[in-house]
Amino acid sequence: MLVGIFKKKRSASVAKNRLMMMLAYERASTKIERLDEMKQELIEVVRKYVKVKDVEIKTSSNQNLETLEVEIILDQSTLR
Amino acid sequence: MEQKEGKMGKVVTITSGKGGVGKSTTTANVATALAMGGKKVIAIDFDIGLRNLDMILGLENRIVYDVVDVMEKRCNLSQAIIKDKRTKGLHFLPASQTKDKSVLNKAKVEELVNRLIGEFDYILIDSPAGIENGFEHAIWQADLALIVTTPDISAVRDADRVIGIIDAKSKKAQEGGEVEKFIVINRIKPELMERGDMLSVEDVLHILSLPLIGLIPDDEAIVKATNLGEPIVLQDKSVVGIAFKNIAHRLEGIDVPFTELRRKEGFFSKLKRLFR
Repeated sequence: MLVGIFKKKRSASVAKNRLMMMLAYERASTKIERLDEMKQELIEVVRKYVKVKDVEIKTSSNQNLETLEVEIILDQSTLR
Repeated sequence: MEQKEGKMGKVVTITSGKGGVGKSTTTANVATALAMGGKKVIAIDFDIGLRNLDMILGLENRIVYDVVDVMEKRCNLSQAIIKDKRTKGLHFLPASQTKDKSVLNKAKVEELVNRLIGEFDYILIDSPAGIENGFEHAIWQADLALIVTTPDISAVRDADRVIGIIDAKSKKAQEGGEVEKFIVINRIKPELMERGDMLSVEDVLHILSLPLIGLIPDDEAIVKATNLGEPIVLQDKSVVGIAFKNIAHRLEGIDVPFTELRRKEGFFSKLKRLFR
């Protein structure tokens, strides 16, 4: 299926890439045991100041770097 | 208190994320190999409700009591421990067949393992797969953890998840130490790897970022050995048996080179040449 015109892409390298992508996503989220709790508290804190629609937390990691991305989606109606 | 008998056994937990990757086979063979090397070894099956270490060791007909009976004080520890007649120094403590997985409790498990630490050189714990109930009991007192995986994406992925929680569930880590973790890659098909159709050993190690302790080739001889209830390390010439013996040697601190890794091509033929 994943056969190129000039070069065959071996299945092991496809497997490796799929795995690395998957794990980069999973690793960080399993490391933070109380992610949901943190999310709830974040929402509460931010709500003191602005109206919040939602808080999204994305985690990603590779061998040397781990990041936590917090996206706070504001409630548009209150900003106008 | 646990050092009464003078021994200070090492607790080695054999675990995996995915089931069916060869945990019990690894436990049985490494335990047998360590005993063949003169050590006093006990293999414990912690897979409550789904035991199979007994069959791989060929000791299923000798079970009277099990690990839960010991903890519930329905029998003495010595009554439940089965001495293998073929391999001197090899002992076995079977899992319970009860359906209630919550029968194990931490304090009782700890008390039991502490007693065994005082009496054996090695305590090998066959952990249930995954991150469920019995896993935390199996890992709690581990000095070392062997994580068994096959070179499949699903097995490696699940291995990664288990590795991530070992320290969180271990006493050693809670006391500021770290459980030493090693990878066993099982069911390697060298032809497929050479062709690039199986994750390579390097790929797996790179992804899991842990040191290797064993490479086990896929071989039908292991199926026969399991059918017979005779751990394959008992066969002198088996390539798989030698691979398991090498794990035991490495646990003993002997530096056995991974010949397979040095020259990827001809890993099989090279091994065969060496050992025939």
